[in-house]
Amino acid sequence: MYRFLRLSVLLVGLIAAVGSVAVHAAQPLTTADDLGPVVDQPIEFPHDRHAGDAAKGGMQINCMYCHTYARRSNVAGIPPLQKCIGCHRSIESVRETPRIKKLFEYWEAKKPVPWKKVHDLPDFVRFNHERHIQRFVFAQEKPVQEACGYCHGDVKTMTVARRQKPLSMGWCVSCHQKDHPVSATSTKTTHGPNDCWQCHK
Amino acid sequence: MSITNLLQNWSDFRQQHPSDERPHQEYKWAMSIDLDLCTGCNACSVACYAENNLPAVGKEKFSHGHSHHWLRIERYWHNEDREYADQGAQFLPMMCQQCEAAPCETVCPVGATNHTADGLNSQVYNRCVGSRYCNANCPYKARYFNWYDYPTTADVWPAPMEQQLNPDVTVRGKGVMEKCTFCVQRLTVAKSNARTEGRSVHDGEVQTACQQACPTGAISFGNLIDPESRVAKQWEKQQVKLNHDKQAKDAVHDGDKLRGYRILENLRTYPSVMYLEQLREGAI
Repeated sequence: MYRFLRLSVLLVGLIAAVGSVAVHAAQPLTTADDLGPVVDQPIEFPHDRHAGDAAKGGMQINCMYCHTYARRSNVAGIPPLQKCIGCHRSIESVRETPRIKKLFEYWEAKKPVPWKKVHDLPDFVRFNHERHIQRFVFAQEKPVQEACGYCHGDVKTMTVARRQKPLSMGWCVSCHQKDHPVSATSTKTTHGPNDCWQCHK
Repeated sequence: MSITNLLQNWSDFRQQHPSDERPHQEYKWAMSIDLDLCTGCNACSVACYAENNLPAVGKEKFSHGHSHHWLRIERYWHNEDREYADQGAQFLPMMCQQCEAAPCETVCPVGATNHTADGLNSQVYNRCVGSRYCNANCPYKARYFNWYDYPTTADVWPAPMEQQLNPDVTVRGKGVMEKCTFCVQRLTVAKSNARTEGRSVHDGEVQTACQQACPTGAISFGNLIDPESRVAKQWEKQQVKLNHDKQAKDAVHDGDKLRGYRILENLRTYPSVMYLEQLREGAI
Protein backbone atom coordinates (compact mmCIF):
# COMPACT_ATOMS: atom_id res chain seq x y z
CA MET A 1 0.00 0.00 0.00
CA TYR A 2 2.64 2.41 1.10
CA ARG A 3 4.76 1.41 -1.83
CA PHE A 4 1.96 2.44 -4.20
CA LEU A 5 1.57 5.69 -2.36
CA ARG A 6 5.22 6.41 -2.65
CA LEU A 7 5.17 5.59 -6.33
CA SER A 8 2.24 7.88 -7.00
CA VAL A 9 3.87 10.71 -5.06
CA LEU A 10 7.01 10.18 -7.09
CA LEU A 11 5.04 10.15 -10.34
CA VAL A 12 3.14 13.31 -9.47
CA GLY A 13 6.40 14.99 -8.58
CA LEU A 14 8.00 13.84 -11.80
CA ILE A 15 5.09 15.05 -13.92
CA ALA A 16 5.11 18.37 -12.14
CA ALA A 17 8.86 18.72 -12.69
CA VAL A 18 8.68 17.79 -16.39
CA GLY A 19 5.66 20.03 -16.81
CA SER A 20 7.40 23.02 -15.29
CA VAL A 21 10.39 22.46 -17.55
CA ALA A 22 8.09 22.20 -20.57
CA VAL A 23 6.30 25.41 -19.62
CA HIS A 24 9.64 27.10 -19.12
CA ALA A 25 10.92 25.84 -22.47
CA ALA A 26 7.82 27.10 -24.25
CA GLN A 27 8.53 30.68 -23.24
CA PRO A 28 10.45 32.44 -25.98
CA LEU A 29 13.65 34.19 -25.03
CA THR A 30 13.04 37.86 -24.90
CA THR A 31 13.97 39.76 -28.01
CA ALA A 32 11.50 42.57 -27.50
CA ASP A 33 12.74 46.11 -27.19
CA ASP A 34 13.09 47.48 -23.73
CA LEU A 35 13.74 51.19 -23.57
CA GLY A 36 16.39 52.23 -21.11
CA PRO A 37 16.36 55.38 -19.03
CA VAL A 38 16.87 58.78 -20.61
CA VAL A 39 20.45 59.82 -19.98
CA ASP A 40 21.06 63.55 -19.78
CA GLN A 41 24.25 64.31 -21.65
CA PRO A 42 26.28 67.51 -21.20
CA ILE A 43 25.66 68.29 -24.87
CA GLU A 44 22.59 66.96 -26.61
CA PHE A 45 24.53 65.11 -29.30
CA PRO A 46 22.45 64.56 -32.48
CA HIS A 47 23.27 61.03 -33.64
CA ASP A 48 20.60 61.41 -36.34
CA ARG A 49 22.37 64.42 -37.86
CA HIS A 50 25.73 62.63 -37.97
CA ALA A 51 24.83 59.06 -38.80
CA GLY A 52 21.29 59.34 -40.19
CA ASP A 53 20.16 58.70 -43.74
CA ALA A 54 20.88 61.37 -46.35
CA ALA A 55 17.20 61.64 -47.20
CA LYS A 56 16.52 62.77 -43.65
CA GLY A 57 19.36 65.24 -43.58
CA GLY A 58 21.92 62.90 -42.02
CA MET A 59 25.60 62.76 -42.91
CA GLN A 60 25.78 58.91 -42.96
CA ILE A 61 29.05 58.89 -41.06
CA ASN A 62 30.32 55.40 -40.23
CA CYS A 63 29.77 54.54 -36.54
CA MET A 64 33.41 53.52 -36.29
CA TYR A 65 34.66 56.90 -37.47
CA CYS A 66 34.00 58.19 -33.96
CA HIS A 67 33.65 54.97 -31.95
CA THR A 68 36.94 53.89 -33.36
CA TYR A 69 37.98 51.21 -30.86
CA ALA A 70 34.98 48.97 -31.54
CA ARG A 71 36.83 46.96 -34.17
CA ARG A 72 39.99 46.39 -32.14
CA SER A 73 39.11 46.50 -28.47
CA ASN A 74 36.68 45.37 -25.81
CA VAL A 75 35.11 48.82 -25.69
CA ALA A 76 33.81 50.93 -28.56
CA GLY A 77 35.18 54.14 -27.06
CA ILE A 78 33.86 57.66 -26.85
CA PRO A 79 35.66 59.97 -29.29
CA PRO A 80 38.04 62.52 -27.80
CA LEU A 81 36.99 66.16 -28.05
CA GLN A 82 39.75 66.64 -30.60
CA LYS A 83 37.82 64.47 -33.04
CA CYS A 84 34.71 66.66 -32.75
CA ILE A 85 36.73 69.84 -33.16
CA GLY A 86 38.71 68.36 -36.04
CA CYS A 87 35.64 68.50 -38.22
CA HIS A 88 33.72 71.32 -36.59
CA ARG A 89 36.41 73.97 -36.82
CA SER A 90 35.93 73.87 -40.59
CA ILE A 91 32.12 73.72 -40.57
CA GLU A 92 31.28 77.40 -40.44
CA SER A 93 27.54 76.98 -41.07
CA VAL A 94 26.80 75.56 -37.61
CA ARG A 95 29.60 77.32 -35.72
CA GLU A 96 27.24 79.69 -33.90
CA THR A 97 24.57 77.15 -32.90
CA PRO A 98 24.19 76.64 -29.12
CA ARG A 99 25.45 73.06 -29.01
CA ILE A 100 28.57 73.77 -31.04
CA LYS A 101 29.27 76.90 -28.99
CA LYS A 102 29.16 74.71 -25.89
CA LEU A 103 31.48 72.24 -27.57
CA PHE A 104 34.05 74.97 -28.25
CA GLU A 105 33.72 76.17 -24.65
CA TYR A 106 34.97 72.78 -23.50
CA TRP A 107 37.72 72.93 -26.12
CA GLU A 108 38.91 76.37 -25.04
CA ALA A 109 38.78 75.39 -21.37
CA LYS A 110 40.85 72.31 -22.29
CA LYS A 111 38.35 70.07 -20.58
CA PRO A 112 36.92 66.81 -21.94
CA VAL A 113 33.16 66.60 -22.40
CA PRO A 114 31.85 64.53 -19.48
CA TRP A 115 29.72 62.16 -21.57
CA LYS A 116 27.65 59.70 -19.60
CA LYS A 117 27.45 56.00 -20.26
CA VAL A 118 24.25 54.77 -21.89
CA HIS A 119 24.94 51.09 -22.51
CA ASP A 120 26.29 50.01 -19.16
CA LEU A 121 26.77 46.30 -18.58
CA PRO A 122 27.13 44.88 -15.06
CA ASP A 123 30.68 44.56 -13.72
CA PHE A 124 30.60 40.77 -13.87
CA VAL A 125 30.11 40.72 -17.64
CA ARG A 126 32.93 40.44 -20.10
CA PHE A 127 31.78 41.85 -23.42
CA ASN A 128 34.04 42.23 -26.41
CA HIS A 129 33.09 44.66 -29.21
CA GLU A 130 35.99 43.51 -31.36
CA ARG A 131 34.73 39.94 -31.72
CA HIS A 132 31.28 41.06 -32.79
CA ILE A 133 32.49 43.72 -35.24
CA GLN A 134 35.08 41.39 -36.75
CA ARG A 135 32.43 38.76 -37.30
CA PHE A 136 29.49 40.80 -38.50
CA VAL A 137 31.10 43.76 -40.22
CA PHE A 138 34.34 42.33 -41.57
CA ALA A 139 33.59 38.61 -42.04
CA GLN A 140 29.91 38.78 -42.91
CA GLU A 141 30.17 42.20 -44.54
CA LYS A 142 26.99 43.49 -42.95
CA PRO A 143 26.42 47.25 -43.09
CA VAL A 144 28.00 48.84 -40.03
CA GLN A 145 24.83 50.53 -38.82
CA GLU A 146 22.91 47.27 -39.07
CA ALA A 147 25.57 45.33 -37.15
CA CYS A 148 25.86 47.94 -34.40
CA GLY A 149 22.08 48.22 -34.38
CA TYR A 150 21.62 44.59 -33.30
CA CYS A 151 22.53 45.67 -29.79
CA HIS A 152 22.38 49.46 -29.86
CA GLY A 153 19.07 49.88 -31.65
CA ASP A 154 18.35 52.46 -34.29
CA VAL A 155 20.82 55.07 -33.06
CA LYS A 156 20.82 56.87 -36.40
CA THR A 157 17.27 58.08 -35.73
CA MET A 158 18.01 59.24 -32.17
CA THR A 159 19.52 62.44 -30.98
CA VAL A 160 21.01 61.45 -27.63
CA ALA A 161 21.47 57.67 -27.64
CA ARG A 162 19.12 55.69 -25.47
CA ARG A 163 19.27 52.03 -24.69
CA GLN A 164 16.72 50.22 -26.84
CA LYS A 165 17.56 46.55 -26.31
CA PRO A 166 17.34 44.73 -22.95
CA LEU A 167 21.07 43.75 -22.87
CA SER A 168 20.07 40.91 -20.54
CA MET A 169 21.61 37.45 -20.55
CA GLY A 170 18.58 35.80 -22.13
CA TRP A 171 18.64 38.39 -24.86
CA CYS A 172 22.35 37.81 -25.56
CA VAL A 173 21.78 34.06 -25.59
CA SER A 174 18.83 34.34 -27.97
CA CYS A 175 21.29 35.54 -30.60
CA HIS A 176 24.15 33.27 -29.57
CA GLN A 177 21.90 30.24 -30.10
CA LYS A 178 21.11 31.20 -33.70
CA ASP A 179 23.22 29.95 -36.58
CA HIS A 180 25.23 32.70 -38.22
CA PRO A 181 27.24 32.25 -41.43
CA VAL A 182 30.98 32.40 -40.80
CA SER A 183 31.54 34.77 -43.73
CA ALA A 184 29.65 36.64 -46.43
CA THR A 185 30.35 33.97 -49.04
CA SER A 186 30.33 30.85 -46.88
CA THR A 187 27.35 28.60 -46.30
CA LYS A 188 28.94 27.22 -43.13
CA THR A 189 27.24 28.45 -40.00
CA THR A 190 28.20 28.46 -36.35
CA HIS A 191 26.51 29.81 -33.28
CA GLY A 192 27.92 32.03 -30.58
CA PRO A 193 29.84 30.69 -27.59
CA ASN A 194 27.67 28.94 -25.04
CA ASP A 195 30.10 28.80 -22.18
CA CYS A 196 29.52 30.67 -18.89
CA TRP A 197 33.09 31.90 -18.62
CA GLN A 198 33.00 33.43 -22.08
CA CYS A 199 30.89 36.28 -20.74
CA HIS A 200 30.91 35.95 -16.96
CA LYS A 201 34.08 36.92 -15.21
CA MET B 1 23.31 29.72 -21.13
CA SER B 2 19.77 29.54 -19.92
CA ILE B 3 18.50 26.96 -17.48
CA THR B 4 16.46 25.39 -20.31
CA ASN B 5 19.63 24.96 -22.30
CA LEU B 6 21.37 23.53 -19.27
CA LEU B 7 18.68 20.90 -18.80
CA GLN B 8 18.45 20.04 -22.47
CA ASN B 9 22.17 19.62 -22.90
CA TRP B 10 22.85 18.15 -19.48
CA SER B 11 25.51 15.76 -20.74
CA ASP B 12 27.48 18.62 -22.30
CA PHE B 13 27.78 20.35 -18.97
CA ARG B 14 28.21 17.27 -16.80
CA GLN B 15 31.08 15.52 -18.44
CA GLN B 16 31.65 12.24 -16.66
CA HIS B 17 35.19 11.59 -17.78
CA PRO B 18 37.40 12.61 -20.65
CA SER B 19 36.37 10.49 -23.59
CA ASP B 20 37.46 10.14 -27.17
CA GLU B 21 33.88 10.76 -28.25
CA ARG B 22 33.96 14.35 -27.09
CA PRO B 23 37.54 15.50 -27.43
CA HIS B 24 38.66 19.03 -26.77
CA GLN B 25 38.46 21.01 -29.97
CA GLU B 26 41.15 23.62 -30.00
CA TYR B 27 42.38 24.16 -26.48
CA LYS B 28 42.92 22.08 -23.40
CA TRP B 29 44.61 24.24 -20.82
CA ALA B 30 46.98 22.34 -18.58
CA MET B 31 49.82 22.99 -16.22
CA SER B 32 52.92 21.29 -14.99
CA ILE B 33 54.78 22.23 -11.83
CA ASP B 34 58.37 21.18 -11.24
CA LEU B 35 58.67 20.70 -7.49
CA ASP B 36 62.43 20.43 -7.82
CA LEU B 37 62.47 24.07 -8.85
CA CYS B 38 59.94 25.24 -6.27
CA THR B 39 61.59 27.06 -3.39
CA GLY B 40 58.37 27.71 -1.51
CA CYS B 41 58.80 31.48 -1.81
CA ASN B 42 55.03 32.12 -2.13
CA ALA B 43 55.45 34.58 -5.01
CA CYS B 44 52.85 32.60 -7.00
CA SER B 45 50.36 32.92 -4.19
CA VAL B 46 50.94 36.67 -3.87
CA ALA B 47 50.60 37.12 -7.63
CA CYS B 48 47.32 35.24 -7.48
CA TYR B 49 46.03 37.55 -4.74
CA ALA B 50 46.87 40.56 -6.89
CA GLU B 51 45.53 39.20 -10.15
CA ASN B 52 42.28 37.71 -8.92
CA ASN B 53 41.13 40.26 -6.32
CA LEU B 54 41.53 37.86 -3.42
CA PRO B 55 40.86 39.33 0.01
CA ALA B 56 43.64 38.97 2.57
CA VAL B 57 41.43 37.93 5.46
CA GLY B 58 43.89 38.26 8.31
CA LYS B 59 45.10 35.92 10.99
CA GLU B 60 41.89 35.45 12.92
CA LYS B 61 39.65 34.57 9.96
CA PHE B 62 42.45 32.43 8.56
CA SER B 63 42.51 30.36 11.73
CA HIS B 64 38.75 29.84 11.33
CA GLY B 65 39.37 28.39 7.89
CA HIS B 66 38.04 31.41 6.05
CA SER B 67 41.15 31.88 3.97
CA HIS B 68 41.03 32.78 0.29
CA HIS B 69 44.30 31.66 -1.18
CA TRP B 70 43.35 30.15 -4.50
CA LEU B 71 46.93 28.97 -4.68
CA ARG B 72 48.50 27.78 -1.46
CA ILE B 73 51.93 26.35 -0.77
CA GLU B 74 51.62 23.11 1.13
CA ARG B 75 54.56 22.03 3.27
CA TYR B 76 55.64 18.48 3.93
CA TRP B 77 58.36 17.01 6.13
CA HIS B 78 59.62 13.54 5.47
CA ASN B 79 62.47 13.07 7.94
CA GLU B 80 61.73 12.90 11.63
CA ASP B 81 65.32 12.30 12.76
CA ARG B 82 66.68 15.71 11.84
CA GLU B 83 68.70 17.93 14.07
CA TYR B 84 66.22 20.71 13.53
CA ALA B 85 62.59 19.66 13.21
CA ASP B 86 61.69 22.33 10.65
CA GLN B 87 64.55 21.43 8.36
CA GLY B 88 64.04 19.78 5.01
CA ALA B 89 60.56 21.02 4.17
CA GLN B 90 59.20 20.13 0.78
CA PHE B 91 56.81 22.50 -0.94
CA LEU B 92 53.87 21.86 -3.15
CA PRO B 93 51.81 24.63 -4.75
CA MET B 94 48.20 23.50 -4.63
CA MET B 95 45.39 25.10 -6.57
CA CYS B 96 42.25 23.93 -8.36
CA GLN B 97 43.39 21.02 -10.51
CA GLN B 98 40.77 21.78 -13.19
CA CYS B 99 39.71 18.13 -13.17
CA GLU B 100 38.30 16.68 -16.36
CA ALA B 101 35.76 14.73 -14.30
CA ALA B 102 35.45 17.21 -11.50
CA PRO B 103 33.74 15.91 -8.34
CA CYS B 104 32.57 19.46 -7.58
CA GLU B 105 30.59 19.71 -10.80
CA THR B 106 28.37 16.71 -10.19
CA VAL B 107 27.20 17.85 -6.76
CA CYS B 108 26.35 21.47 -7.50
CA PRO B 109 22.57 21.74 -7.11
CA VAL B 110 22.29 24.76 -9.40
CA GLY B 111 24.86 24.02 -12.10
CA ALA B 112 27.04 26.95 -11.05
CA THR B 113 30.18 24.99 -11.76
CA ASN B 114 30.56 23.17 -15.02
CA HIS B 115 33.01 22.29 -17.71
CA THR B 116 34.06 24.65 -20.45
CA ALA B 117 35.03 23.59 -23.95
CA ASP B 118 38.65 24.42 -23.10
CA GLY B 119 38.71 21.86 -20.31
CA LEU B 120 38.41 24.33 -17.48
CA ASN B 121 36.18 23.83 -14.50
CA SER B 122 34.22 27.06 -14.48
CA GLN B 123 32.64 28.71 -11.48
CA VAL B 124 29.86 31.18 -12.14
CA TYR B 125 29.35 33.46 -9.16
CA ASN B 126 25.96 34.71 -10.33
CA ARG B 127 24.50 31.26 -10.29
CA CYS B 128 26.13 30.05 -7.06
CA VAL B 129 23.76 29.81 -4.10
CA GLY B 130 26.45 28.91 -1.57
CA SER B 131 25.49 25.35 -0.74
CA ARG B 132 29.22 24.50 -0.41
CA TYR B 133 28.64 20.95 -1.61
CA CYS B 134 31.39 21.45 -4.18
CA ASN B 135 33.89 22.29 -1.46
CA ALA B 136 32.87 19.22 0.51
CA ASN B 137 33.36 17.02 -2.52
CA CYS B 138 36.65 18.51 -3.68
CA PRO B 139 39.47 16.08 -2.84
CA TYR B 140 42.05 18.86 -3.20
CA LYS B 141 40.24 21.34 -0.94
CA ALA B 142 40.89 24.00 -3.51
CA ARG B 143 37.59 25.85 -3.22
CA TYR B 144 37.05 28.85 -1.01
CA PHE B 145 33.84 30.29 0.32
CA ASN B 146 33.03 33.96 0.87
CA TRP B 147 31.87 34.00 4.48
CA TYR B 148 31.79 37.79 4.55
CA ASP B 149 31.08 40.57 2.15
CA TYR B 150 34.75 41.44 2.07
CA PRO B 151 34.68 44.64 0.01
CA THR B 152 32.19 46.40 2.28
CA THR B 153 31.95 44.79 5.71
CA ALA B 154 35.45 43.48 6.29
CA ASP B 155 37.95 46.16 5.46
CA VAL B 156 40.27 44.02 3.36
CA TRP B 157 41.07 46.71 0.83
CA PRO B 158 41.34 49.95 2.81
CA ALA B 159 41.34 53.04 0.59
CA PRO B 160 43.10 53.58 -1.76
CA MET B 161 43.83 49.87 -2.11
CA GLU B 162 40.55 49.21 -3.90
CA GLN B 163 42.16 51.05 -6.81
CA GLN B 164 44.46 48.11 -7.41
CA LEU B 165 41.64 45.65 -7.99
CA ASN B 166 41.71 43.94 -11.34
CA PRO B 167 38.78 45.17 -13.45
CA ASP B 168 38.79 41.95 -15.47
CA VAL B 169 37.85 39.89 -12.43
CA THR B 170 34.66 40.20 -10.41
CA VAL B 171 34.96 41.21 -6.77
CA ARG B 172 32.95 38.39 -5.26
CA GLY B 173 30.19 39.04 -2.80
CA LYS B 174 29.14 37.17 0.31
CA GLY B 175 27.88 33.61 -0.01
CA VAL B 176 29.52 32.41 -3.19
CA MET B 177 32.19 29.83 -3.77
CA GLU B 178 35.34 30.66 -5.66
CA LYS B 179 38.50 28.96 -6.83
CA CYS B 180 41.46 29.12 -9.18
CA THR B 181 40.36 29.86 -12.75
CA PHE B 182 43.70 29.32 -14.50
CA CYS B 183 43.48 33.13 -14.99
CA VAL B 184 40.61 32.74 -17.43
CA GLN B 185 40.54 36.51 -17.99
CA ARG B 186 43.97 36.29 -19.59
CA LEU B 187 43.03 33.21 -21.60
CA THR B 188 40.00 35.00 -23.02
CA VAL B 189 42.08 37.95 -24.16
CA ALA B 190 44.71 35.70 -25.74
CA LYS B 191 42.09 33.65 -27.53
CA SER B 192 40.35 36.76 -28.82
CA ASN B 193 43.60 38.23 -30.14
CA ALA B 194 44.50 34.95 -31.79
CA ARG B 195 41.09 34.67 -33.36
CA THR B 196 41.29 38.14 -34.89
CA GLU B 197 44.55 37.11 -36.51
CA GLY B 198 43.04 33.80 -37.62
CA ARG B 199 45.33 31.48 -35.68
CA SER B 200 45.52 29.53 -32.43
CA VAL B 201 47.12 30.89 -29.27
CA HIS B 202 50.89 30.40 -29.45
CA ASP B 203 52.69 28.60 -26.69
CA GLY B 204 53.94 31.15 -24.17
CA GLU B 205 51.61 33.85 -25.46
CA VAL B 206 49.49 33.58 -22.35
CA GLN B 207 50.81 33.10 -18.85
CA THR B 208 48.95 32.59 -15.62
CA ALA B 209 49.75 35.06 -12.84
CA CYS B 210 51.47 32.37 -10.74
CA GLN B 211 53.60 31.28 -13.67
CA GLN B 212 54.58 34.84 -14.44
CA ALA B 213 55.64 35.48 -10.85
CA CYS B 214 57.58 32.26 -10.29
CA PRO B 215 61.26 33.25 -9.98
CA THR B 216 62.55 29.79 -10.80
CA GLY B 217 60.16 29.05 -13.65
CA ALA B 218 58.75 26.00 -11.90
CA ILE B 219 55.29 26.46 -13.36
CA SER B 220 54.57 25.98 -17.04
CA PHE B 221 51.16 26.48 -18.53
CA GLY B 222 49.78 25.99 -22.00
CA ASN B 223 47.64 24.15 -24.45
CA LEU B 224 47.84 20.38 -24.16
CA ILE B 225 46.33 19.91 -27.64
CA ASP B 226 49.26 21.73 -29.26
CA PRO B 227 52.00 19.06 -29.46
CA GLU B 228 54.68 21.76 -29.65
CA SER B 229 53.71 23.46 -26.40
CA ARG B 230 56.04 23.16 -23.43
CA VAL B 231 53.33 21.61 -21.31
CA ALA B 232 52.41 19.00 -23.91
CA LYS B 233 56.07 18.07 -24.30
CA GLN B 234 56.49 17.72 -20.54
CA TRP B 235 53.40 15.56 -20.22
CA GLU B 236 54.58 13.49 -23.17
CA LYS B 237 58.05 13.06 -21.78
CA GLN B 238 56.78 12.06 -18.36
CA GLN B 239 54.29 9.69 -20.01
CA VAL B 240 51.38 11.18 -18.11
CA LYS B 241 48.16 10.79 -20.05
CA LEU B 242 45.25 13.09 -19.36
CA ASN B 243 42.53 10.49 -19.79
CA HIS B 244 44.10 7.70 -17.72
CA ASP B 245 43.46 7.13 -14.03
CA LYS B 246 46.45 4.79 -13.81
CA GLN B 247 49.52 5.71 -15.78
CA ALA B 248 51.06 2.87 -17.75
CA LYS B 249 54.55 3.96 -16.70
CA ASP B 250 53.77 3.25 -13.04
CA ALA B 251 53.34 -0.45 -13.81
CA VAL B 252 56.77 -0.69 -15.44
CA HIS B 253 59.85 -1.33 -13.35
CA ASP B 254 61.84 1.69 -14.54
CA GLY B 255 58.77 3.87 -14.68
CA ASP B 256 59.56 5.49 -11.36
CA LYS B 257 62.54 7.20 -12.96
CA LEU B 258 59.99 9.52 -14.51
CA ARG B 259 59.04 12.25 -12.10
CA GLY B 260 55.63 13.23 -13.42
CA TYR B 261 52.53 12.45 -11.40
CA ARG B 262 49.12 13.83 -10.75
CA ILE B 263 47.69 14.15 -7.29
CA LEU B 264 44.98 11.68 -6.22
CA GLU B 265 44.77 10.40 -9.75
CA ASN B 266 43.23 7.14 -8.55
CA LEU B 267 40.06 9.02 -7.59
CA ARG B 268 39.42 9.39 -11.33
CA THR B 269 39.25 13.11 -11.29
CA TYR B 270 41.62 13.36 -14.28
CA PRO B 271 43.31 16.55 -13.08
CA SER B 272 44.91 18.99 -15.53
CA VAL B 273 47.92 19.73 -13.34
CA MET B 274 50.96 17.49 -13.45
CA TYR B 275 53.60 17.72 -10.74
CA LEU B 276 57.23 16.75 -11.20
CA GLU B 277 58.52 14.99 -8.13
CA GLN B 278 61.22 16.61 -6.06
CA LEU B 279 64.58 14.86 -6.25
CA ARG B 280 67.06 17.08 -4.49
CA GLU B 281 67.03 17.70 -0.79
CA GLY B 282 65.33 20.91 0.24
CA ALA B 283 67.80 23.65 1.14
CA ILE B 284 65.62 25.00 3.90
